[in-house]
Amino acid sequence: MHENRSTPARVWLFAALALAAAVIVIIGPALFDRFTLNVLTRSMIYAMLAVTVDILWGYTGILTFGQAAFFGTGAYASAMVLSHLGASPALMVLALALAIIVPVLLGAFVGWLSFGHGSTPLYATVISLVVPIVVTQLVFSGGVWTGSSSGLVGYSGLPLGLPGYFRLTGICLIVTAVVALVFTRSDAGKLLVAIRDNEARCAYLGLDPQRLKIVLTTILAGVAGIAGFLYANASGVVAPENTGFVFGTEIVIWTALGGRGTIIGPVIGAIGIDYLSAQLSGDLPFLWNLVVGALFVVMIILLPNGLAQLARMVLPRGNEQASPSGSPTLAAEPAGSGSEAGNRVLAVGGLGKSFGSLQVLQGIDLDVHPGELVSLVGPNGAGKTTLMRCLSDGTEATTGTVTIAGQDISGMTPDEIVALGVGRKFQVASVFDSLTVADCLRMARASRNAPSLLRRSATLGLPAAAADILRSTGLDRMLGRPVSLLSHGQKQSLELAMVVALEPKLILLDEPTAGLTKVERTTIGATLQKLTGELGFAAILVEHDLDFVRDISTRIVVLHQGKLVLDGSVDQVVNSEVVRTIYSGGAHA
Amino acid sequence: MRNRTVILAFASAALAGVALATTAFAEDGPIKIGIPVGLSGANSVVAPSVVQSAELAVAEINAAGGVLGRQLALEIADDASGAAGAQKAFDSLVFQKEVNAVITMETSAARNAGLPIISKGDIPYIYTSFYEGKSCNANLFVNAWVPEQQVPPIVDNFIKSQGAKKFFLIGSDYAFGRGMLEFAKAYIEKSGASIVGEEYLPMEGSDWTAIISNLKSSGADAVITSTAGGAPNVTLTKQLRGAGVTIPYGNLAVDEGTAKSMGADAAGIFISASYVTSIDSDANKSFLAAMQKKFGAELRTPNDLSVPEYEGIYLYKAAVEKAGSTDTAAVLAALAEVSFVGPRGTVSMSRQHHAPLTMYLGQVKADGSVTVVDTFKGVDPGEQCPDL
Amino acid sequence: MTLLLDMVTTAAILFIVAAGLLAIFGVLKIINFAHGAWLTIGAYCAVATAGLGLNPWLALPIAFAVGAILGGITELVIVRPLYRRPLDAILATWGLGIVIGQLITLWFGRDVQFTPNLLSGTVDVFGVGYSLYRLFAVAAALVIGLAFTFLLEGTRLGLSAQAVIMNEMLARALGIDTARVRLATFMVGTGLAALAGVLLTPLTSVDPNMGVAWLIGSFMLVMVAGSSFSTLAIACLVFGGAQVLVSTFVSPIFGGITVAVLCALVLRISPKGFARA
Repeated sequence: MHENRSTPARVWLFAALALAAAVIVIIGPALFDRFTLNVLTRSMIYAMLAVTVDILWGYTGILTFGQAAFFGTGAYASAMVLSHLGASPALMVLALALAIIVPVLLGAFVGWLSFGHGSTPLYATVISLVVPIVVTQLVFSGGVWTGSSSGLVGYSGLPLGLPGYFRLTGICLIVTAVVALVFTRSDAGKLLVAIRDNEARCAYLGLDPQRLKIVLTTILAGVAGIAGFLYANASGVVAPENTGFVFGTEIVIWTALGGRGTIIGPVIGAIGIDYLSAQLSGDLPFLWNLVVGALFVVMIILLPNGLAQLARMVLPRGNEQASPSGSPTLAAEPAGSGSEAGNRVLAVGGLGKSFGSLQVLQGIDLDVHPGELVSLVGPNGAGKTTLMRCLSDGTEATTGTVTIAGQDISGMTPDEIVALGVGRKFQVASVFDSLTVADCLRMARASRNAPSLLRRSATLGLPAAAADILRSTGLDRMLGRPVSLLSHGQKQSLELAMVVALEPKLILLDEPTAGLTKVERTTIGATLQKLTGELGFAAILVEHDLDFVRDISTRIVVLHQGKLVLDGSVDQVVNSEVVRTIYSGGAHA
Repeated sequence: MRNRTVILAFASAALAGVALATTAFAEDGPIKIGIPVGLSGANSVVAPSVVQSAELAVAEINAAGGVLGRQLALEIADDASGAAGAQKAFDSLVFQKEVNAVITMETSAARNAGLPIISKGDIPYIYTSFYEGKSCNANLFVNAWVPEQQVPPIVDNFIKSQGAKKFFLIGSDYAFGRGMLEFAKAYIEKSGASIVGEEYLPMEGSDWTAIISNLKSSGADAVITSTAGGAPNVTLTKQLRGAGVTIPYGNLAVDEGTAKSMGADAAGIFISASYVTSIDSDANKSFLAAMQKKFGAELRTPNDLSVPEYEGIYLYKAAVEKAGSTDTAAVLAALAEVSFVGPRGTVSMSRQHHAPLTMYLGQVKADGSVTVVDTFKGVDPGEQCPDL
Repeated sequence: MTLLLDMVTTAAILFIVAAGLLAIFGVLKIINFAHGAWLTIGAYCAVATAGLGLNPWLALPIAFAVGAILGGITELVIVRPLYRRPLDAILATWGLGIVIGQLITLWFGRDVQFTPNLLSGTVDVFGVGYSLYRLFAVAAALVIGLAFTFLLEGTRLGLSAQAVIMNEMLARALGIDTARVRLATFMVGTGLAALAGVLLTPLTSVDPNMGVAWLIGSFMLVMVAGSSFSTLAIACLVFGGAQVLVSTFVSPIFGGITVAVLCALVLRISPKGFARA
């Protein structure tokens, strides 16, 4: 029950691979000459960095050149302790501790700087360029403390000898790679891919992607610091170029050539290229760089997933049908406490929104109670989607108040509002294209049930309402299927199921039926009626199809030119003179 | 399973890597001299001239019967002018090519990165680049100048002949730049003149605007610069000239080749070197003639970084002959005692592994050539490594 | 007085260098990380022009043409498949920069190259002798800024480019050949970068890596400026001025990283930089 069928095979494969690597590392000193041992020791340290870059860039989508800075900070912290204080066992521990702590602190700061509400992926990349430049400059101006351009040399490191360093770094690399493989394949690891695919959706599932990215940056800065400690000891020298932005780009190049998002690819890429360059660059330095550069450009354009992708294309494929994660089974989750009928779920007072001098919304007052299905109608440009945005993001509204479950949301970020009980479904299905159906749904539960850092769950716990949607749309039989293979309608249903899985008190739906077939539309309508009528959810629905609205709504609100012009029962609104004139295009109320 | 095939591919790739790592054999053939040098990176401008010097020395020695009856062979590796590249290059030379000695000109970062590997491999290392001084290692010998030898000729000339009283110092922010100017500062103050400004720009910086404005407003009557070689030096000189700075200008980092490429902007610059092409000695003339004959149109102008390489190889030859073998301990002992009469005059690394040298004060002419203004014989490198 | 001149001329030089990058980023939303390589190409055009014995001023149009043609090829081969992957475009253009740098090295060698000065000497400005060329740089920056504004506001290409900036889908629906607009914009941007390379030669050395030093600074300025040349001018004045002030009164070492650090902070506070409406 706890293991699904494909898990043991995968685990055995990884274990066998790790074991094989460990054997090579242990017997390596007997196989290789000194030169090869030296080069491979350094290459393996670089490979650890490539793994961290792969987690950040390959999995999470953060293109970073900054790992070099954390690596360099760790290396310099160690080398400075060993140079200026000495290399007694206690000081060695201090060197290791500082090699982790200093990069972690720097990483936390860089993370905070890079990932604020509303900062773009490009901005994070920008910061990752600036950090190595600043750190390098500090090293240059550090005088005798950092050795300036000459670096630090002549300190004594761990008394291991060449074979010892080779084994130590080999084991560190294997541990790093195995931990990274286990983590990225765990339920929690899917979170990284979710952030890469669709950060907005993560936020609207109650997750805080920015905070997660800061945590990730901080931890991986520490890992880079450990690599720096190893480097400072094994090489016996640290130099400014170890912290520089050019080195940062090299790590990215290794990762890209090896194959991002595979962990093993970047390890092979880093070791392979660094080893080859040690062999070849003496003979043809410029040509070697030219070849690497050209190869890199070609790869980025034609093979964005690197050599790993090529390997998959060239090698005979195994059983293509077995989905990589297997299909988990559905399990019921106990329903959370429903909201008490009668209390207002949503209270909007005097809401206004303007872009510069353009007033898009003004003076909106609206109350919604549990069990209500309120449809929001109005012509294009009336401000419907803007209103939905103001209800789900506390930084949007210009004036007025929005209160959800008794709490004013002004200034709150989407994930905080989700925690109050708001679920938002977007007009264009917003799901995670690289994940499976089950993983998408698990993301929706991640804010309630912390996903495992180590394993893939064999079960998928969902509240009954969400499971019902899956059953009525047939998605329950496709849990292991990648989302990218779903139809348009299935994606819409999946997103609705994800939103419902949040167990919100209030669901915001922006044209959920757009582009759907008649059958799919009816299914969604029935689902919505059941959610509100039987289960006590409240829902606000933006919809153009007036027939659909008339069939399912309990109340209709009409928005026109940024103002709320009518709020009443279905009959009142459908038969009103105002609506007819608005929709015939003649009114200027 | 698709993953299985991928993993198998990786495993076989790893095995192939193992097979590639074949062991190099040491043979009882020629004496191998390793030259890790910056074929790429900052030093790549000067590196070809260094390699040419080494090639001439080896060709001459081999033509004359070699060393102890064995021929010399060069192993050249790119150190990319930096620490990481130097590690690869030294690893390759010391442990793969198994050279008998390393004789080369490198950046300080590359030298420092190479030293631990030299110590592990325990072979002699003759460093042939001028540098900021005080690098000490039992296996390391230096036959080029240090600040104690290079700065005094310029400062003395500026104070005595040009009447300079207020000096302004400009450098690149790195060990050499700071090391040179630190010494210059102490020496200028000891000589009775004052420092009215000392400014540094990062090595990759190219905008000297603010520093030049500070220089102009400082009332300085002489400027001494010590930048990284190549680009920063050219950039600073161009901008100094663009801003109309005409006070005596001593450049601690310019070589004849760079001065030539700067054209008219370099005219008037004072340089202090242990080698300029216009040295009027038989040794220099026959050296230049031999270089011209061997390389013809390909010849890179010999300079203060390439000539010590030539002499370094001859010094190594003398030490091996004196020791009677390539045994490291014996050669190291001999290196401190032997001397060689080369283009720069008589060179012997007798002073704490460093070499007393004849220094030349030169001035760049409008056509880029350097005329010798003054000559200082046997300038002592001072206390570089008191423990050696 | 000198301080003020330093600030204005530094801003002008930064503007000249960043203009080509901005043209590309503004319209295409792509960061051309090979920008530094194009500066280098431009500077080597000046070297080649001098080598052929032509008037050094001729290097300006030659560099613009060479830069634009090479840019056109780059757009077609490398950038076009990557419009939907802007981060990959950064990487691919960075790789291209490496390739160009190595090709220049193989062709011209690593050495610092000599170029004749376009203008030399100093002039008196309010009693202070000041570098004539730096003053000329201000004029050049104004010409580039005005020419580009004219191109954007007064020509068909410019109007099409503006339409692409605002709403690409709509522009295409209106019958604008967006592929051609992109090609033309990329060519103008790379042409400007090469032109800037020529204008830099009197101030810096010409060597295969000369562009990299300018890349990060102009990149940061463009990020802050967004897509408008007037905001770029403001950004250059503010941050270039700050750089001169920090260099003069604090330390030139910190001056070197002033632009990058200040820009990063500004972007943290206001993610859209100076472009906020």
